[in-house]
Amino acid sequence: MKNPASTSWSKRINARSIREFATKNAIILVLAALVLVIGIVKNGFLTPDNLVNIMRISSVRLIIALGAAGVLISGGVDLSAGRTVGLAAVVAASLAQRPDYASKIFPNLPYMWVIVPILAGIAAGLLVGIINGLAIAYLKVPPFIATLGTMVIVWGAASLYVDRPPLGAQPIGGLRTDFTNLGTGSVGFMPTIILIALIVYCIYWVMLNKTQLGKNIYAIGGNLNAAIVSGVNVKKNLVTLYAIAGMLYGLGGVLLSARSGGATNNYGQSYELDAIAASVIGGVSNMGGIGTVAGVLTGVLIFEVLNNGLVVLGISAYWQQVVKGVIIVAAVAVDIRKYSKKR
Amino acid sequence: MKKIVMLFLVAALVLSVGGCAKKAVVTPKIGVAIYKFDDTFMSYVRNQIQSAANGKILLSVQDSQYDQPKQNDQVDQFLVEGDTALAINMVDPSAVSVIIDKCKTKNVPLVLFNREPVAADMAAWDKVYYVGAKAQQSGTYQGEIVAEYWKAHPEADLNKDGILQYVMLMGDPSNTDAKYRTEFSIKAIEAAGIKVQKLAEDTAMWDRVKGQEKMAAFLTANAGKIEVVLANNDDMGLGAIEALKAAGYFKNGKYMPVVSVDATPPALDALAQGTLLGTVLNDAVKQGQATFDLAYALATGAEVKSDVAPLALADGTVDSTGKYIWVPYVKVTKDNYKDFLAK
Amino acid sequence: MSSSEYVLEMRNISKNFPGVKALDDVTLKVAPGTVHAIVGENGAGKSTLMKCVFGLYTADDGEVILNGQPVSFASTKQALDAGIAMIQQELLPVLQRSVMENFWLGRFPEKNYGIIKIVDEKKMYADCKAVFDDLRLNIDPATKVFNLSASKIQSMEIAQAVSHHSKVIIMDEPTSSLTENEVEHLFTIIRKLKDQGIAIVYISHRIEEIFEISDEVTIMRDGKCVGTYPTKQLTPEFVIKQMVGRTLTNMFPPRENTPDGVVLKVENLTSVTEHSFRDITFDVKKGEIFGIGGLVGAQRSELVEALFGLRSVKSGTVSIDGKKVVITSPIQAKQYKMALLTEERRATGIFPVLSVLDNTIMASIGRYVHKSGLLDEKTGRRDAGKIIDTLRVKTPSLATLIENLSGGNQQKVIVARWLLTQPDILILDEPTRGIDVGTKYEIYSIIADLAKKGKTIIMISSEMPELIGMSDRIMVMCEGRVTGILDGKEATQERIMTLATQLM
Repeated sequence: MKNPASTSWSKRINARSIREFATKNAIILVLAALVLVIGIVKNGFLTPDNLVNIMRISSVRLIIALGAAGVLISGGVDLSAGRTVGLAAVVAASLAQRPDYASKIFPNLPYMWVIVPILAGIAAGLLVGIINGLAIAYLKVPPFIATLGTMVIVWGAASLYVDRPPLGAQPIGGLRTDFTNLGTGSVGFMPTIILIALIVYCIYWVMLNKTQLGKNIYAIGGNLNAAIVSGVNVKKNLVTLYAIAGMLYGLGGVLLSARSGGATNNYGQSYELDAIAASVIGGVSNMGGIGTVAGVLTGVLIFEVLNNGLVVLGISAYWQQVVKGVIIVAAVAVDIRKYSKKR
Repeated sequence: MKKIVMLFLVAALVLSVGGCAKKAVVTPKIGVAIYKFDDTFMSYVRNQIQSAANGKILLSVQDSQYDQPKQNDQVDQFLVEGDTALAINMVDPSAVSVIIDKCKTKNVPLVLFNREPVAADMAAWDKVYYVGAKAQQSGTYQGEIVAEYWKAHPEADLNKDGILQYVMLMGDPSNTDAKYRTEFSIKAIEAAGIKVQKLAEDTAMWDRVKGQEKMAAFLTANAGKIEVVLANNDDMGLGAIEALKAAGYFKNGKYMPVVSVDATPPALDALAQGTLLGTVLNDAVKQGQATFDLAYALATGAEVKSDVAPLALADGTVDSTGKYIWVPYVKVTKDNYKDFLAK
Repeated sequence: MSSSEYVLEMRNISKNFPGVKALDDVTLKVAPGTVHAIVGENGAGKSTLMKCVFGLYTADDGEVILNGQPVSFASTKQALDAGIAMIQQELLPVLQRSVMENFWLGRFPEKNYGIIKIVDEKKMYADCKAVFDDLRLNIDPATKVFNLSASKIQSMEIAQAVSHHSKVIIMDEPTSSLTENEVEHLFTIIRKLKDQGIAIVYISHRIEEIFEISDEVTIMRDGKCVGTYPTKQLTPEFVIKQMVGRTLTNMFPPRENTPDGVVLKVENLTSVTEHSFRDITFDVKKGEIFGIGGLVGAQRSELVEALFGLRSVKSGTVSIDGKKVVITSPIQAKQYKMALLTEERRATGIFPVLSVLDNTIMASIGRYVHKSGLLDEKTGRRDAGKIIDTLRVKTPSLATLIENLSGGNQQKVIVARWLLTQPDILILDEPTRGIDVGTKYEIYSIIADLAKKGKTIIMISSEMPELIGMSDRIMVMCEGRVTGILDGKEATQERIMTLATQLM
């Protein structure tokens, strides 16, 4: 194409192109600025140990946020994420208690391969996801309502699960080392939990960008009616998507209990809001059709850098909330500029 | 306009029918409301109340879901159903006067438990009682465990300045228990003649995962300086222990004294493992039993007065006003934890 | 200063979008009490120019002068207050609310009771009614907007512009969703406004209308102003030549298709919905272009959507290649090698936030799944690129978001999407709606070529020259029923219109 603009373009690598770059990558710059500012104010923040710690925490959050982001891209919303994390955490933890632990949930729990509690937790999440998907795709319940319903149901189910004889409701502790190693151990120099998150991140990237399911999800979120007319099997795709999201919450719950060495039915409370906020900060559109996994990762990191950084800076608990809220809104306000350029 | 008139008519109809049909049948029944079911400690209390009532009297146990207006509705419902005594675990103890008024109108005795209202409210009516533990005492016991350890282990003073440097993990800062534990634990240490210095203090909202994350941030900000960790409850204390483990504590002779409150099974396990220095048992079983005994006496014995007699049934210390039952705390350390393991 | 002569002047306006020079040094002068038409192909920059006046866009260069004063509006509210109103191409009223609430939205009259302000509904009604009466509009201000036809909604918006005391009213493709009677009514209103001294900027690509209503014509092409002429001095041929930059010898391409053997047979098809289509019987041959004509409301779209499995039928049968089929979803329709280009491109056609590539392969994505479960992007990209080239879609790249293309090119992408599914039966619902003259010809050529290759084409169109020029046979519908099937060679506009209004 003979575009006269393209010839003059090369001459204009100046303030304008820098501004263009800044608008496009605003959210990454926000993250970098946060890290730098906190690092300069408080030495100790930018130590390898602390950064690895932030990444450990972010790992669980990333896995959950990816599930929530996929649902947002499809034009839906998943409020059940947090409580599903909690359900998976208690299910996994209850099956991973040490044989010699005095107050086991299942007093006669036999020794099982460590993969059993892990899969059980993921399966619990999968089940919730499938229920969400069926309710939304086949019963036509709007996602907000359907997942609001499962959110409440799942919390009740997790509480019932924990509140069983002979001991009644109690925190689940005394987890086996081979299980907690998922959250605290390392493979070589790489912390296991970060490795798992990386693998999930890659698989999810492939799923969204390189598979039929991924393309269909963007299409469903971009224009549901056009997707139907194009012959996209909307129902099947939605059920699959919510099921995958559920599995991710399940995995998140398993890792959360492994990392903290225990679980209660309170685990994961309001994580869905954090996940949705992190996704939106990372440029996922809550209208559907738009979003990248890299954006979600950035959003999660901003969240966790703030969480950790504000404590390291010694800012009081209430002010932390205020600062966090302001930065979230500011970050999105900066990021949104790349879409309003048409003016 | 027509619609509004219709609405009034329908409302009036419903009310009048409801009013006629409701004829108070006086069978003793106790209404119990718990501020939220997913509080671990309260579920022990609840379990005890339920098992104590089994076969003796009808109970209706409700979850107020951390929502005071909801609890008020539940109280209204209890009173409508003709319950003969109420046992209420306030969501917001400062809002108790409304509930006292409701009970007073219907002359139904009220037992408040675990979350303590101010004395002025307690004095408003003679048939309102309180069963609970003195939160100050739990803090004091925590401080005493620390002081004892500090004196026995001179090597705990890492920088040899004769001052105890500590970090504090608080519960919900608007909660009186959290305030008292924070305040009186330090007072007890100072009372033992030890100078203290606070390195960091933050809320982890009673939560294990948050406790872990905040502790990790404390370690970053105060590497090598922290000498003692105090936590307002076990979940946060255990979270802190996980963070300490990740930072290399509890192996190769590297130790950190951590004290908390509640003596939950996972905490007892941590005592056995040698990671937790000590915890303080808020005796849920005794508290639940005392609450039930008192409410039962009030619900069945028509001639219960503000007299101390029925109160003495409970295995607690009776206050001189005859309206308070104080269930004592118990210090739990490596020496006596076996006494508290699941029966 | 020529402030007395022109009410609105735009001088040397330029506007860039990423990668596109949308407006390049455009100058426009509008005198009061005249209708000034702006014509050009889609993507010529007509709407963009007007959005720069109305405060929706900000021009990069140049100045806007209103009543002799240079102005720059940061919002539409400022523009409205200054006396410029714009009737958008896609009307967006609040459907669930009443006409008068829409009419006064953003400026409700209020009554003061001390510090309490109450919206004065009586005044709203009366003032609204007064404006409507003045324009001889028969609309009840209290009725809900969803009860109104597209034409009435448009009239309402024009009345709204008048009530703002606008000196300039911009109309962007105002006749795109109107029937012929409604267009006449619109012109009556426009003439009335003209008499009141209001200047009308009339954007359109319908040449006939321009000659009927306008006083002056500005022709635009590729973001540039080709020239401004008094309408009286122009001929349609000249305007078209200036718009497309070449002479259009034929409106329609030659057809070399030979219809042969029935492919699709529809018998007594009746909708589950009352007042929709009923007792529809027709058949379509291989290699045939089968037109469906009728007025708005004839249930033509409903019929083809039912064929494609988007709507339910109560009775009747559909056969393909002699075998009876029951199609209840587009997924099944695709298995029978059918394709449907829907009428509402924005609502049911494009995925606005996705790329041209994704938009192209979306309906045939299953074919590009590799054994591993991953997508074979290379093949997908190659096929999409090939078909995009064949259809001559103007796009910077396959990765460009489809929403950045002009309407005509978006339409071609959707045609490409369906061609990629390799269909035997193509149903095209208003395939050239809102598309400029040059691209229309290209789409006609594509249709003719497909028919030549033996594809079966069913084409709904409300433009009678298009129906007559393209179809082998034309089925005319009225009020949900078939009123006649004409041979393409014998069809005339009069005969079609007679059948289309037969049952009214």
